[in-house]
Amino acid sequence: MNMRKLLCAALAVVMVFALVACGQQNVVSNSSSEGTQAAVEATAAPEAGKPTEPTGQLVIGTTTDLENDFYDTSFSNAATNYKLYDLIHGYGTVVSDKEGAWIYDPTVVASHEEVENEDGTKTYTVTINDGLVWSDGTPITAKNYVFQLLLESSPEMNQVDGYPSQAGYPLVGYDEFFAGETKNFAGVHLVDDMTYSVTVKAEELPYHYDITYALASPRPMHVIAPDCDVVDAPEGAMITGDFTAELLQKTINDSKTGYRYNPSVVCGPYLFESYDIASRQGTLVVNPNYAGDYRGVKPMIEKIVVKTVKSDTMINELASGSVDLLFQSSGADTINAGLDLVDQGKAQYSTFFRNGYGKVQFDCSQFPTDSENVRKAIAYCLDRNEFARQYSGGYAAVVHAYYGLAQWEYQESKDWIDQNLNTYEKNIEEAKKLLEEDGWNKNADGSDYSGTGTRYKEVDGQLKPLVIEWANTDGNPVSELLATMLPEAMAEAGMELKATTMDFPTLLSGIDHTSDKIYNMYNLATGFALASSPWYYYSTDPVWMQAGYNSNWIVDEELAAAAEVLKPIAYEDDEAWLAAWQNFIDVWNDKMPDIPLYSDEYYDFYSNKLHGWESTSVWEWSRAVLDAWVEA
Amino acid sequence: MGKGRYLLKRFVYIVFVFFIISILMFAIYKSMPGDPVDIMLGDSKTSMKPDAYQALYDKTVKDLGLDKPLPVQYVAWMGNMLTGEFGYSTQYKQEVINIISAPMINTVLLNILTMIVVFIIAIPLGIVTAVRKNGAFDKTVQVVTIVGYSIPTFIVALLAIFLLAVKFPIFPISGVKSAGLNATGLEYVLDRLWHMALPVLVMSVSGIGGITRYVRAAMIDVLRMDYIKTARAKGLREKTVVYIHAFRNALIPVVTITTWWVVGLFGGSIVIESVFLWPGLGKMLIDGLLQRDFAVVLTMQMFYVVLSLAGNVIMDIAYTIVDPRVRLED
Repeated sequence: MNMRKLLCAALAVVMVFALVACGQQNVVSNSSSEGTQAAVEATAAPEAGKPTEPTGQLVIGTTTDLENDFYDTSFSNAATNYKLYDLIHGYGTVVSDKEGAWIYDPTVVASHEEVENEDGTKTYTVTINDGLVWSDGTPITAKNYVFQLLLESSPEMNQVDGYPSQAGYPLVGYDEFFAGETKNFAGVHLVDDMTYSVTVKAEELPYHYDITYALASPRPMHVIAPDCDVVDAPEGAMITGDFTAELLQKTINDSKTGYRYNPSVVCGPYLFESYDIASRQGTLVVNPNYAGDYRGVKPMIEKIVVKTVKSDTMINELASGSVDLLFQSSGADTINAGLDLVDQGKAQYSTFFRNGYGKVQFDCSQFPTDSENVRKAIAYCLDRNEFARQYSGGYAAVVHAYYGLAQWEYQESKDWIDQNLNTYEKNIEEAKKLLEEDGWNKNADGSDYSGTGTRYKEVDGQLKPLVIEWANTDGNPVSELLATMLPEAMAEAGMELKATTMDFPTLLSGIDHTSDKIYNMYNLATGFALASSPWYYYSTDPVWMQAGYNSNWIVDEELAAAAEVLKPIAYEDDEAWLAAWQNFIDVWNDKMPDIPLYSDEYYDFYSNKLHGWESTSVWEWSRAVLDAWVEA
Repeated sequence: MGKGRYLLKRFVYIVFVFFIISILMFAIYKSMPGDPVDIMLGDSKTSMKPDAYQALYDKTVKDLGLDKPLPVQYVAWMGNMLTGEFGYSTQYKQEVINIISAPMINTVLLNILTMIVVFIIAIPLGIVTAVRKNGAFDKTVQVVTIVGYSIPTFIVALLAIFLLAVKFPIFPISGVKSAGLNATGLEYVLDRLWHMALPVLVMSVSGIGGITRYVRAAMIDVLRMDYIKTARAKGLREKTVVYIHAFRNALIPVVTITTWWVVGLFGGSIVIESVFLWPGLGKMLIDGLLQRDFAVVLTMQMFYVVLSLAGNVIMDIAYTIVDPRVRLED
């Protein structure tokens, strides 16, 4: 873990320089050296002038609408709402730190203990610090944590707008509790007023991110279930009193007063003040009772307003002062306009790489992209550096496998990646060779391939053409650029690219295999979660494919095994993880289930009144705002 | 008797058309590719274990009644609609009735203000240009209105933003209200009006262009009539001739436009709402389509169907008011 921390501590600075330090990692940055320096200066701004009390207002512009839903991601998966959950609901026992590593939050957790049981289960016992209070002054105890686990695993909550009730899924006794067969949750115990324990099922272990099993977040029982209580028993903890779906419909789901729409009592750094349905603006004010994040840092900005902006005009909004912060801006037009504003002295910026990439995703269950050689041949037909340059205007880098530039594994493996991964530089002759090896050496009439036109292959006594069906979405610049760069090169290699444009739900139904027509390839983007779990995404078990994890539908035992090796590695064992990760990346690079296209360089642009801004891909604006302050 | 029978027949016709359209709409939307439940559950798909997700998916399908045959779904939907239950939005995870009022108010406010601006300017302008036909003023207005009528709305919108919000920052670039504003009363109203200024201006440009030309053409036709010559020969004042005798008779085409405009008060503009980030019904409809939120989309579509059908009847009645010669008969 130390190595990880050391590596990650330098991440923000390294990110700035990554473009020029990537070696074989192809880089197409437009950043000038002056700009890079400015970014460093912006992120390293001294704390002079930082107020001692929360003050001022920060207006944050977002390109995705804020919805009227403030409970958790299970009710609303609108991207902007995710960030407000972070700001309103706090004191989770396990959090990700500034470097993206999972830790027990010392502000919340007084002590913790993990015991591996003889039956293969594992018990996590967590003691909460004294002195934490809700925004209304009510003390926070272990009951609030146990209440959350019980509430959000209960069949009663499941009846509230189809809430998944999955909080305790990996815990012993979940199935019986969720099914309503028992009122006690065997895997959850209220040990004492300040201590709870959870016991994880044997089949959920070992798991690399098993620390996250100990995670619980408090819920205000006195607001959600005012006449109920949490009690412990040898059979597990339970909620007593009139705990019914009808109660939750009233306290959580009432469209005017329900906790989901009006979280009146919270414990995060900010209080929910209002959501204006007409303008879709959310307003938060600082929580004076907040004890601080895992570092003890408390917010110094008094009020936060989140409003929608349009990507075409958001830099103008920043210039006019109607917003103070635009986060994760991408694309040349926006970035160049923002940098112009910075040059004029009207704004500041910081920059970092996206923890994900845009890609061509293959469906590896469909002929002919079920062939590794065909997938690689397509990769050889695309000049990815040129693609990234044209798409992003220079504000992107090219990655060569399943990794994000913000991942510590990448930072540690840059040299290794340069030496070991195939970069698939555009090479039509190599594409032809791969196709020949794969048996694509016939003409339509069955004669030997003439060297021009579409190749054919004999499959089960039938000649089949090398046609790649490509599904893409309308108005998508990636689709448009691929349409200009791929077809000609693919035709030269003997492949025909048939493009179909559709809306996104239709495209998704193709990927999910729920539509009548399934395509060979799609252009999409992906991001890496902090608990990146490739063993699910490349599992050969059909269940994981049908569930949407293995959306490549790739059945490759070597790839699955390389990913599966990662799962049981202890979270602290960075060395073993890194070695297994490199092997997985190597195998992935050889199998090419996707063609990684670009990884954006994100820019945060913000007004000159904002100071102390330090956000990255793993420390997003909802976390970074705690360190920042605004001039009064 | 004739009017009552006519209206009854029209009512029967409206009911018949309503049901036919509802069946067609329902069938079309339900046949669209894309799974609303899959979209509704969103990230749950890759944050839950497959068996748990499948259980949740199956439960959601059942709760929404999507496991039943389409004819059964249609009957249930129509039955609920007729009793004021418009269904459950898979996008917002709320009852449609709870989410539709805010964008509807936004849209109606914008359209009403636009209509007022357009009619206050266009009707007098149309009358004056008709009276001064072929004069320098008329020709100038003709050119200006045809330009306003012809330029696509989004171009006008972008120009307006550039000039009046960026270059000369008089109005806000987008939005419904100032960020963080906690005002009430007059301050609140003024802030809303300030934010409405640009979208209203843009929407008015094409409206003024079109209606001015309609009024002008209608007035020119009427001013040629013998009864106008008679009125003038009687020695009536020119204002009386124009505004009392001529304008009332020129109202029929104006009534047609006005009726559709009133009906259109509830129709959001996707272009305007997108450019100015004005959360109205247009954006809601397109978002609903993209998210396969059929409860929202079908509710709005059927609302528009009712409005359109009712609009025709209202227009017929309005004709009888402005022109006594018109009779509502079979």
